[in-house]
Amino acid sequence: MTPVRPVWRDSLRLRLLVGTLMWASVAVLVAGWGLARLFHEHVERQFHVELSAHLDQLAAQLEVDATGRAALRMALGDPRFARPYSGLYWQIDDLTAEGRGLLRSRSLWDVVLFVPGDELVDGEVHVHRVEGPDGEPLRMIERVLRPAATPDAPLRLIVAANAAFVDAPVMRLNRLLAVALALLVLGLAFAVVVQVGLGLRPLQRLREALAAVRDGRSAAIDGRYPVEIQPLVDEFNAVLARNAELVSRARTQAGNLAHAVKTPLTVLANAADTADGGLARLVREQVGLARTQVDYHLARSRAAAAVGVPGQRTPMRPVLEGLQRLMAKVYAERDLRLQLLACSDSLAFRGEAQDLQEMLGNLLDNACKWAKTRVELSASEHGGQLQVCIDDDGPGLPAAVREAVFGRGVRLDEQVDGSGLGLAIVRDLARLYGGEVVLEPSPSGGVRALLRLPLAP
Amino acid sequence: MRILVVEDEPLLNAQLRAALEAAGYVVDSAADGREASFMGEVEAYDAVVLDLGLPQVDGLSVLKRWRAASVGMPVLILTARGDWHEKVAGIDAGADDYLTKPFHMEELLARVRALIRRAAGQASPELRCGAVVVDTRGGRVTVDGQLLGLTSHEFRVLAYLMHHRGEVVSRTELTEHIYAQDHDRDSNTIEVFVARLRKKLPPELIETVRGLGYRLVCPP
Repeated sequence: MTPVRPVWRDSLRLRLLVGTLMWASVAVLVAGWGLARLFHEHVERQFHVELSAHLDQLAAQLEVDATGRAALRMALGDPRFARPYSGLYWQIDDLTAEGRGLLRSRSLWDVVLFVPGDELVDGEVHVHRVEGPDGEPLRMIERVLRPAATPDAPLRLIVAANAAFVDAPVMRLNRLLAVALALLVLGLAFAVVVQVGLGLRPLQRLREALAAVRDGRSAAIDGRYPVEIQPLVDEFNAVLARNAELVSRARTQAGNLAHAVKTPLTVLANAADTADGGLARLVREQVGLARTQVDYHLARSRAAAAVGVPGQRTPMRPVLEGLQRLMAKVYAERDLRLQLLACSDSLAFRGEAQDLQEMLGNLLDNACKWAKTRVELSASEHGGQLQVCIDDDGPGLPAAVREAVFGRGVRLDEQVDGSGLGLAIVRDLARLYGGEVVLEPSPSGGVRALLRLPLAP
Repeated sequence: MRILVVEDEPLLNAQLRAALEAAGYVVDSAADGREASFMGEVEAYDAVVLDLGLPQVDGLSVLKRWRAASVGMPVLILTARGDWHEKVAGIDAGADDYLTKPFHMEELLARVRALIRRAAGQASPELRCGAVVVDTRGGRVTVDGQLLGLTSHEFRVLAYLMHHRGEVVSRTELTEHIYAQDHDRDSNTIEVFVARLRKKLPPELIETVRGLGYRLVCPP
């Protein structure tokens, strides 16, 4: 079973997005929670201060005469104490008797607040949460007072307020905070998308440059890239350069070997030509064989080195025209009409120039050898491939031998010069490049050679 | 006909020289590019056999130098690599034909003959002037179908005049084309050869143009 990779692992963009957003969300949540808490505490404290002030005021207004009758000197300032069920209440209990609700604010109307019992130390302020007249939650503070006149009859002073006075602004702020933070996260996400897009743009450029190299439109990756990518680009260019160098070295070595081997072969062959006897015959024969072998393997080794190297593109027209000039001169005696019928300037072969020359040269040479009066050449794009068509008006080939001529060393006519390797090399090279070469009857009576090769864009 | 052979491998050089001399040519040879370049520029050759892989200055450069200096004799290049790109480069540098090593000497001789003929604007390997026919392939001369016995020098003089039928050819020019470079040249000997040829050939064929040289006059 193949392990399932999370989608975000396959995309740098998603990786960066997920990473950044996760971090931003955590930060925003922590900040939001902290802010909300801070505000809540602040509001609570304010509320407590307010209640304490009311309690102090209540204590200040309280008057107890010698009989122990308690009364307020003056009503408390806040109008909410006067409005029934307004949410702000006070109450004074007599702790000695069953004196709950001895004195009450008007806002309490007919309700007496119940204070949960605790071990109250005189003078200390206690905070309670209780239920109000409407069943609403109340915050209550209380303090016990021993009036100077009747120190044995302590009074409990109570101020209570609706908890909504605290909760409402907190809720309001929390809502606002949530909206603001959500907006912040959205903004961050957008910024991250834009930033990742900008940051990854050089990669897109690199991708295009690589495609150009692969298609043979350029030999190396050009241009400057950000310092994070430039080492990659430099390494890649170094690999390309090394490839090119290897191919060129293989070519040079093949050439040197050819020169080193073939000149002595020529000397041997010529010496044997001027002599008679078994030895001379043997030498002639073996020199011929050696020549065939050397030619064949040199051509193959050179091609093998070049095939698959990226960044190769050879325009067709100069190669065809060069070979046309060559044939025109070499076959000048024969009065051949050698015509390049069609070849657009933009047509190019995805491969190495010398290999293309090798294939076309051999085919063209064959056509010229056999043609009576004319050879016609054309190159075109055909089904996404490059197609070269070479027609001669020679005697043509019987269908039976049309395939056989691609064999190594097969020669149809010993009178015509050549090692009999040409077509075998052409087919080998074409196939190495993923192309093909076939011979067909030509409309002009002779042979048509069709060469199909990869097309460079 | 005078030919320059440029080949650095001494054995092959000697073989080429021997084969060409046996075919009736006068042969000079050079073993490196610098020498070849110089000889081609100062001497008059009717054809050059030029190996491309030469020490000091390579064959292609030698050829380009000659063509840049308007030295126009036909050049047959010998290539060991046999790459088509090298052949195209050779032709574009001004070569007239190529031969891939290893080659057969007969093939080389045929190519050289064809080059000289082509350079003279001659389509057939047989040079004809009235009743006289020079077959450049075998070095045979016939008059009315009868084989004529000629010495090699006589043959060279006649062949050169035949290649330049109707043109005035100076004694110096003849000397340059029938003797090798190191030969002790004496233009008086030309007169001796011409006199002998006149005796063997139909009368009035070789005309003396006073102060200028000789001209082969062919009856229409």
